[in-house]
Amino acid sequence: MIRRPRIPVPEDFTAPSHSPLVAARLGLWLGVAFGLCFGTGLLSHFIQHPPGWFTWPTRPVNLYRITQGVHVLSGVAAIPLLLAKLWSVYPRLFVRPPLRQPIRLSAHALERLSVLVLVCAAFFELVTGLFNVAQSYPWGFFFPTAHYAVAWLVAGAILLHVAVKLPIARAALSTPLRGSRAVAAAAPGRDDSSERRAFLRTSVGVAGIAVLATAGVTVPWLRRASPLAWRSAAGPQGIPINRTAAAARIVVPPDWRLEIVWPGGRETLSLAELAALPQHTAELPIACVEGWSASAHWTGVPVVQLLRWAGAPTGRPVRFTSLETDGLYAASTLPAAHASDPLTLLALRINGEQLSPDHGYPCRLVAPSRPGVLQTKWVARLEVLR
Amino acid sequence: MRAVRLLLLVLGASAVGYGGWLLLPQLGTALPWLIGGPVLHDVLVAPLVGVVGLMLSRLVTNRLRLAWVTAGLLASATLLLIAVPLLWRPPSAPPNPGLPDRNYPLGLAVGLAVVWAAIVIVLVVVAMVDRRVTNRRTDRP
Ligand code: HEM
Repeated sequence: MIRRPRIPVPEDFTAPSHSPLVAARLGLWLGVAFGLCFGTGLLSHFIQHPPGWFTWPTRPVNLYRITQGVHVLSGVAAIPLLLAKLWSVYPRLFVRPPLRQPIRLSAHALERLSVLVLVCAAFFELVTGLFNVAQSYPWGFFFPTAHYAVAWLVAGAILLHVAVKLPIARAALSTPLRGSRAVAAAAPGRDDSSERRAFLRTSVGVAGIAVLATAGVTVPWLRRASPLAWRSAAGPQGIPINRTAAAARIVVPPDWRLEIVWPGGRETLSLAELAALPQHTAELPIACVEGWSASAHWTGVPVVQLLRWAGAPTGRPVRFTSLETDGLYAASTLPAAHASDPLTLLALRINGEQLSPDHGYPCRLVAPSRPGVLQTKWVARLEVLR
Repeated sequence: MRAVRLLLLVLGASAVGYGGWLLLPQLGTALPWLIGGPVLHDVLVAPLVGVVGLMLSRLVTNRLRLAWVTAGLLASATLLLIAVPLLWRPPSAPPNPGLPDRNYPLGLAVGLAVVWAAIVIVLVVVAMVDRRVTNRRTDRP
């Protein structure tokens, strides 16, 4: 028998995993994974670009480390879940449009369009996020703004998708996967329900393996267990370095002095004078937007005490400017809450040693519960804002 | 349920609109990376997975064994995907001497080895349990 090749129709796909029972459950888990990504991503966005109404607590000191770890790891978990979901609904790609009914046709076209946006955007977020954790940018767009914009596309498209699929999803989710004995007896030799359960179990298991394989970037006790963690926790002086002094073209002038300015006043200190002030040591993490994090013992002058010593007002936001002359992260604004926290240090030492040039010599900002990119290195100037 | 669906529809459409508006300035450069995923998946990956699945089901006839081998293959594929940006740094990636600080090929090899060691152990145990069950059945007078 010779069959002419033709484009398949949904009925050609007979595997039990192609079923709304499976698609709805995978959809639910994908919804959770993408929901966690979206929520924690929004937080990270607002911390870096705070709108007026937004405040972010300084405690626990590991808060940003946790939210960003959740962001990156739920994204990793979503990779196998997305592929499993698309496998489950692949036959739906071949649904023929109702060509003769204009109203149904336009509804069909709109639904297809929303699904296209959903799948494009979901892939985009996972792929660009994954390249970003390796700090690799093989594209022409600016990653942070594109990843943020497409996050809204995914979130909106998921809501649209749920709106469309709600009746099927509810029916599917309220149907137990374990088929009744009667059904099993009616079709002997083939156990759809156990194959569906195996498919779902495998999907979740693989998602778990993916998380375990990468979680060591941020979970201390998994450091050694995660073979694909993209960063180690080790580095010069005990902490990895993202941006070296050479890459930032830092030259510390021999007559370097820290400048503190506030409305109506100005003060400067040499490094020796800074080191002569009362020093405090705190264990604080460097928690990067790329999800890796590591803790160190930092020693330096609490920013709030430095401001008091200079006679500058406290309880206000403070702008930190680096010796770095260009680059996105040459300056950062420390919110009032963080500027007043006694744990926020202008650090001179890390793990008992003087900061190396790559760690920010002569001094750097280290504040609790903040993204690493905002922990300005090679600080030259503090400006108390109004 | 109608009200809920309508609410989801309105919220979803607004969020998509907002995202699209935010993306507009970069749409040109982002478009290939948006379209690339589904095209690659639908035209290449999904058919390939289907063919491999069919061949595998001919090769491995025991259902339980098939399920575990499939799980091993899917886990391996996922680990490979996650490793791509670590193993392949296109030239446009900025040189960053501080960054690639682990041995990624070794990490991937270890990950795959652990997955397959676990699968082999499971398969051996399954085979042993099978044999014991059949022995007991045939031992019966
Ligand atoms: C990132 C998240 C998601 C993606 C990428 C995704 C993708 C898809 C795709 C491509 C389809 C086939 C569309 C069609 O019927 O033409 C589909 C169907 C479906 N999805 Fe989702 N989905 C996601 C989340 C969800 C969520 C949160 C739910 C709700 C529980 C869900 C429930 C369903 C259901 C019930 C179907 C219909 C399956 C069928 O008719 O066989 N999905 N999904």
